[in-house]
Amino acid sequence: MLTENIRSAIEALFANRLRSALTLLGVVIGVFAVTTTVSMGQIATAGITAQIQDFGAQSLFVVVNNDNPRATRFTGDDIEALSRLPVDILRSRSTGGLGRAGNEEARITLNGQTANAVNVDRSLRLARGRYFSEAEYLRAAPVIVLSADAAETFFPDLDNPVGQEIVVQVGQSRTFYTVIGVRERIGGALGAFANDVSGDIPLETLYSNFPNIRRNEYNVIPITVRFDVNISDIEQQVRAILDRRRGSDTYNLQTIEGALGLFNTITLILQAVLGGIGSISLLVGGIGILNIMLVSVTERTREIGLRKALGAKKGTILQQFLIEAVTLTVIGGVIGLALSIGSLYLIVALVPFIDTVIINPLTILLALFVSIATGVLFGVWPANRAANLSPIEALRYE
Amino acid sequence: MNEPVIAAADLRKIYTLEGGLEVHALRGLNLTIARGSYTAVMGPSGSGKSTLLQILGCLDTPTSGSYQLAGQEVSQLAEDALSEIRNRRIGFIFQAFNLLPRADATYNVALPLLYRGLPAPKRLRQAQEALKRVGLGDRMDHRPNQLSGGQKQRVAIARALVTDPDILLADEPTGNLDSKTGEEILALFDELHREGRTVIVVTHEQEVADHCQEIVRIRDGVVEKIEAVSARVLEVA
Repeated sequence: MLTENIRSAIEALFANRLRSALTLLGVVIGVFAVTTTVSMGQIATAGITAQIQDFGAQSLFVVVNNDNPRATRFTGDDIEALSRLPVDILRSRSTGGLGRAGNEEARITLNGQTANAVNVDRSLRLARGRYFSEAEYLRAAPVIVLSADAAETFFPDLDNPVGQEIVVQVGQSRTFYTVIGVRERIGGALGAFANDVSGDIPLETLYSNFPNIRRNEYNVIPITVRFDVNISDIEQQVRAILDRRRGSDTYNLQTIEGALGLFNTITLILQAVLGGIGSISLLVGGIGILNIMLVSVTERTREIGLRKALGAKKGTILQQFLIEAVTLTVIGGVIGLALSIGSLYLIVALVPFIDTVIINPLTILLALFVSIATGVLFGVWPANRAANLSPIEALRYE
Repeated sequence: MNEPVIAAADLRKIYTLEGGLEVHALRGLNLTIARGSYTAVMGPSGSGKSTLLQILGCLDTPTSGSYQLAGQEVSQLAEDALSEIRNRRIGFIFQAFNLLPRADATYNVALPLLYRGLPAPKRLRQAQEALKRVGLGDRMDHRPNQLSGGQKQRVAIARALVTDPDILLADEPTGNLDSKTGEEILALFDELHREGRTVIVVTHEQEVADHCQEIVRIRDGVVEKIEAVSARVLEVA
C-alpha cells in the first residue's frame, strides 16, 4: 500500500508538472537558504579558528590604557617582572616614515624587534632570506625584514628583494637599510584584507636611528605563553603583577582567544539571523504546499469519494495525501540541498581565504528532516480533510 | 425463493438541515432482495430512492432500523468497517463511470483489490480476468480517455466484478450512454444475472427497469409496491 501510495503520489505530481514545480520552488529556496547559511557559518568559523589556533592561541597582549590620562608606558622593569612567569616576552617599538626604493615610494611602519621574535612569534614566518641575528641586534645593524606587502610595494619587479637597499625618512632624518628577509604573508581570513607595509628592524637600530624614541618605554607587551602552560593561569598572574606595580586601570589585557570567542559569537548570531530568514522562506514554501494540497484535495474530491466507495479507509486516504505532500517537499529539499552544495563549492572557489568546503552530514540530515517535517506539517490538514470526506458527498461533487 | 441477500426492516433516515429542519427521507422502509435476483429500484425524485441506494451500498447508515447484508447486521457500523464491507460485498457501477483518468484500465479494475490488501501480481491477474469477462481483453492498457463511453462503463463493471461481491449496485448505469450502447451494457447485466449474480439497478427509465425481474417502486420514503416484470419483456430483451 505504501509503495502504491508513493507511486500514485509521483504520478499525481507529474500530472501537474508546472504546478508542482512552482510549489517546489518555495521549499527549494527555503532549504537552500538554511543549508547554505549554516554551512557558510561553519566553514568560516572552522577556517578562522584553525588559523588562530595555528599561531595565536597562546598569546596575550598587554596594552596601555589610553583612556586613562595618568597611564604611562610600560617600562623595562615591568617586562622584567613579567619575565619571571613561564612566558616569552617580545619587546618592540614602532615608528612610521616614508620609505623609498628605486622609484617606489610609500608609507612604511618600522617595527623595532628583539632577535628572538623569530622564535617566539608564531605568526612570523619567512618567505625569503633570514631574520636578524642576536649579534646584528646588539650592534644595531641597518638591516630590515620586510612584510610581504612591503616587498611587493617597494620591489614590484623583483622575485627576491634580499640584498636591496631601502631608505626610510622619518621627519628630517634619512635612514638606510639592507633587506635581509621577507616575511610570509599572514594567510587565510586574518591576512586577506590587511595591507601591512612594514619592516622588522633590530630594536637597537631603531633606538640609535631615532634618538627621540626613549628606551625602555613600551606601548604594548606581547606575551607568548609556552604550550604546556594554561593561558588563563598566566592571565591572572599577569594581572596580579601589573595591578601591584601600576594599578588595574592603567592597562588592558587582550587575548586572541577573547577575539576568537567574539568572532564565534558574531558568526553564530549571523548564522541564526540568516538561518532565521531562510526558515521564513521555508515557512512560506510550506504554506505554498498547504495551499496546493488543499487545491488538490478539492480537485480530486470525486477521486477520493470513489476510492472510499471501493473500500479505502480513512487512514489509507490520509496516507496517500500525506505522502504526496512529503514527496513534494522532499524533492524540493533534495534540489535545494544540491543547489546549496554547488554554491558552497562555487563560493570556496571564488573567495580566496576560504579553502575547504565543510558540509556537515548533520546539516544534510537536518535539511532532509526539515523537508519531511514541512511536508507532514503542511500536508496533514489537507490530507485529514481528504480522509474525512464523506463518500456520498465526494461522489456527488462536480 | 433463495435466501435473502438484503433484508432491510423499518429503515428510517432523518437528515437535519441547517436551521434544525428535519427531512425524513426514509420512513420505515422494508425491503428483502433474494440472492441471484435482478431488481430495479424506481421512484420519482425526492422519493428517498438515492438515500436507499446509499444505505444499501453502505455509503451511509440509517438513523434507525435494521439492515442485514448477506446475513450481517451493518446498520450501526463505523466508517472504516463500512469501507471494508463495501470492499468485500458490494460492486458499485456509477452513472459517470468514475474511473481514475490517469490510470489504465487494468489499474482501475485492480484498485479495489489494492484496498483489500492483495499482492500486486494477484491484483493484476484478477483485473485482467475481469476485463476479459466484460469483453475488453484487448483494451487492458488503455486509459479512460482512449475508451468510448460504453467501454468505460465496461471497465467500471469489471472493477465491480473483480472483488466477487455479494451484490452489484448500479446507479443509472446507462444515464451517460447513447441508447444503443446502453442496450449493450444492459445485455451485459442480463448475462451477469444469468450467471447467478445479484444485480440491483437504480433507474428512472422504464426501458432499463424492464430488463429486470422485479421493480421496487419507492414513494415518500417507503416501498410503494413491487412489480414482477413479465417474462415477455425479458425475452424481447
